[in-house]
Amino acid sequence: MKIVVAYKWAPNPQDADVRPDGSVDWSRAKNAVSEYDPVAFELARRLADATGGEVVGLTVGAASIDTPLARKAALSRGLDRLVMVADDALAGADGTRLAGALAAAVRTIGDVDVVLAGDSSVDVAEGQVAMTLAGELGWLGLNAVSGVTAGDGGVVVERDLPSGVATLAVTGAVVLAASSDAVVARVPGMKDILGAAKKPVEVLALGDLAVPATEVALVTLATAKPDAGARLGVVLDGSDPAAAVAQLVGALRQARAL
Amino acid sequence: MNVTSQSWIVVSDDPAVSALVEAARLLGTEVVALVVGRREVAEQTAHAGVDRVVWLGEPADGTPVEAFAGEVARIIADAAPRVVLGAATPAGRVLLGAVAARLHAPVLAGIGSVELAGDQVVVARTVLGGIAEHRTAVSGGTAVLTLAPGTSADATGAPVAIEEVAATPTTGATITDVRVKEQTKVDLGAARTVVAVGRGLKSREDLALVTDLAEAVGGEVACSRPLAEGVDWVAKERYVGISGQHIAPDLYVAIGISGQLQHMVGVRGAKVVVAINSDKAAPIFAQCDYGIVGDLYQVVPALTAALGAGA
Amino acid sequence: MDFGLTDEQQLLLESLDELLERECSESYIADLDATHQPPTTFRQAMNEAGFGSLGFPEEFGGTPSDALTLVMLAERVARQGLNNGYGLELLQAKDILEFGSAEQQQEILGLLAAGDVPFALGFTEPGAGSDNSAMTTSAVHHDGVVTFNGTKTLITNALQSKYLLLMAKNPDVEDPRKAISMYLVPMDAPGVTTNRLEKILWHISDSCEIFLDDVTLPESCLVGVKGNGFKQLMRNFELERLVIAANCLGMAQCAFDDAATYAAQRVQFGKPIGSFQLIQLKLTDMAIKLENIRNFVYKTAWMVDQGEPLKSQGALCKRYSAMAAFEVADEAMQIFGGVGVTIGTRVSRLWLDLRGHRFGGGTDEIMVHIAGRQIVKDHS
Repeated sequence: MKIVVAYKWAPNPQDADVRPDGSVDWSRAKNAVSEYDPVAFELARRLADATGGEVVGLTVGAASIDTPLARKAALSRGLDRLVMVADDALAGADGTRLAGALAAAVRTIGDVDVVLAGDSSVDVAEGQVAMTLAGELGWLGLNAVSGVTAGDGGVVVERDLPSGVATLAVTGAVVLAASSDAVVARVPGMKDILGAAKKPVEVLALGDLAVPATEVALVTLATAKPDAGARLGVVLDGSDPAAAVAQLVGALRQARAL
Repeated sequence: MNVTSQSWIVVSDDPAVSALVEAARLLGTEVVALVVGRREVAEQTAHAGVDRVVWLGEPADGTPVEAFAGEVARIIADAAPRVVLGAATPAGRVLLGAVAARLHAPVLAGIGSVELAGDQVVVARTVLGGIAEHRTAVSGGTAVLTLAPGTSADATGAPVAIEEVAATPTTGATITDVRVKEQTKVDLGAARTVVAVGRGLKSREDLALVTDLAEAVGGEVACSRPLAEGVDWVAKERYVGISGQHIAPDLYVAIGISGQLQHMVGVRGAKVVVAINSDKAAPIFAQCDYGIVGDLYQVVPALTAALGAGA
Repeated sequence: MDFGLTDEQQLLLESLDELLERECSESYIADLDATHQPPTTFRQAMNEAGFGSLGFPEEFGGTPSDALTLVMLAERVARQGLNNGYGLELLQAKDILEFGSAEQQQEILGLLAAGDVPFALGFTEPGAGSDNSAMTTSAVHHDGVVTFNGTKTLITNALQSKYLLLMAKNPDVEDPRKAISMYLVPMDAPGVTTNRLEKILWHISDSCEIFLDDVTLPESCLVGVKGNGFKQLMRNFELERLVIAANCLGMAQCAFDDAATYAAQRVQFGKPIGSFQLIQLKLTDMAIKLENIRNFVYKTAWMVDQGEPLKSQGALCKRYSAMAAFEVADEAMQIFGGVGVTIGTRVSRLWLDLRGHRFGGGTDEIMVHIAGRQIVKDHS
């Protein structure tokens, strides 16, 4: 079985500075494997080990995503090899364009049975790209995945939905978006980290891939920093808990919050 | 690409679509609902205030609605509406993902409000995990939007006719089992007071401290992501944050929660925010109305006692 | 001079951070310390992630690594507040991998993989501490077996270990350097009795007296070459001193961070005590010592990796690191005041545990003995 893990190498918005006008300064933020992706690596490795299969990592983005550290950080998560598309033409690309690039890369990798991804990325956090990728590939897409095992002629997928936990028998290629609590991902092990530099990496040229051009454009009319609601910010010293609590309760009663 | 002045909404499995219809009305001259799923969903949608209902027929036993994503995309592409709106739910994202891929259009999410400026769809949304707000205009084709779908319509007024069209699922998947979750229905959104707990809590047994306070103050218990996922101490439905519940209670008490933006975006609309944390430098103290820097294991019981004694 | 981390070191430390967060919380450590139990689940988790075979030859399932990486990892585990949590058992196991028979190697590797401490080091005796050649425990070879008699004391982790790595003398050989041999003795062999010593520190590691009364085992319990025991043990001694120093560094950093955080929050006379100059003086000098210890430890590790002869560098490093680390913890205790001696504040545990390293693994004074002679010799 050939399994692709589509992951993101991206910064955490928590480390970004948002200026009052809403523009974002990313200079203090560092790229890392997106927080919700490790579960996809873990499910992929388990599925590959159970079926004697191969796990291929895949990521796309601006040129800056291709660094030795970035390659090793991914390869140390149970990958057999890594494929990437790193081109500044993808800088700031919207999710559908990224999905298009991912799909083109999946087709180039060829004979892929399953694409596993996290349910959303740390920096955009909209939970959409993996399912748009399914649309680009023309494959079945399933999200809220809490488990995947090998099945007859395909895989058996468990989904944890608001309506209940559904089990599906899937034949044919499929894109799965795993929820971050599906399994506890193993910590990258020492052997995988120290052996990462030796694993194969293939960089695909964006120009060689048939990525559909975006037809619908987004025009940003205005940006703003979210109004935190001008909080009062009254902070009390709790080293005398009883006194602090008395003060708090008094203030809350006055504000009619209690 | 030329589009009509129609608004289409994609409905699957759940007929609670009031917000989709409302937005669709604002943006288009005619509201068409494309329904994937059981007949009863189509019937309820027919009461939801739309102008037309197009229904892909009863799915064969065990066929998931996601298997019709390709058909949904085909029909929408043929219709070329001004805007397609779908639910920000698992199935909604699958169906709209196929639509977006077909139309080569980005999907806009995190939407606060929509408006029509001339012929252009304009949305106000939060981006980048909620750290910034954008006002965005869509040009060059169909706008694809996901939003929290809303509530079910009352079955008042005359329903519109249901147009059934043939559709074959394009992919092979069969539902073999569904276990309905036994869970107490938690409506965090309706609670006026919410007491939330985060990683400052050292063990599962200590949750009693939090539930005691919630009881004393008459509120619901919620949590930040690590407690619902990493350690699984609190039900997922009580997780407040960017990919969890978004609530706006009158009073929000955050215990042992550092105040990371991924959590705070879920509670931005709260009237009064109280924070209890031992770390003076925790970001939450810059985002609260009242805060106590102290040991939650002492402050929380003290607060519970103060609220219990003399209401 | 590149003081940066390699990619691999960065990724290893990130994984270690995650492991520590999952498996080694302060409440976990405090609980073990209070109940005098070993950190078995943490060790198992470390082994599962492969950290238990760092630096082992590949044929033993290990990945070759360098001393600098080892000290960084040992430092990080210690910084979590755990004393001797990582590193020493690896080095001791390496002794067996280098000198042991195939059976002995398999046995030790299996124990490590299970998260167990493979053996306790049986060197010290009531009459032989710093003066280890004064040891008297005897090993008499006869008729294909060896018989041991004697007493060992202050043996660390004796109760957790399946084996004792016993240093014993051939009574017929005069020169202690040639008399001592190394043996792997099962702790449950007939004639072996143990008496746990109650201590005031290092509660996670037990310390015991071990009495050997006509303990007789097949000669195959010999590790390596007869008469070569001392040299075999010294092989990894420099590296052990380095790991002890890294352990001290991590714990001192932990105490410092706790104290600095406390100083920034504790309000007296209307201000955080961290705004008073006397507290700032303490914190500043603590920070200077930590910087010194770190540079000393990392530079010494670098020398090992470069294959440079250490001469007395290991002794200098161990002496300074243990002493300065304890001074940092002592000032941290002072900053905490009364709060620092209550159960629930870990600084007192760090203070106690660090005190032990000024004599454990070679006393401050023996380090002078080693280095002082070397210095004079180099200048004559």
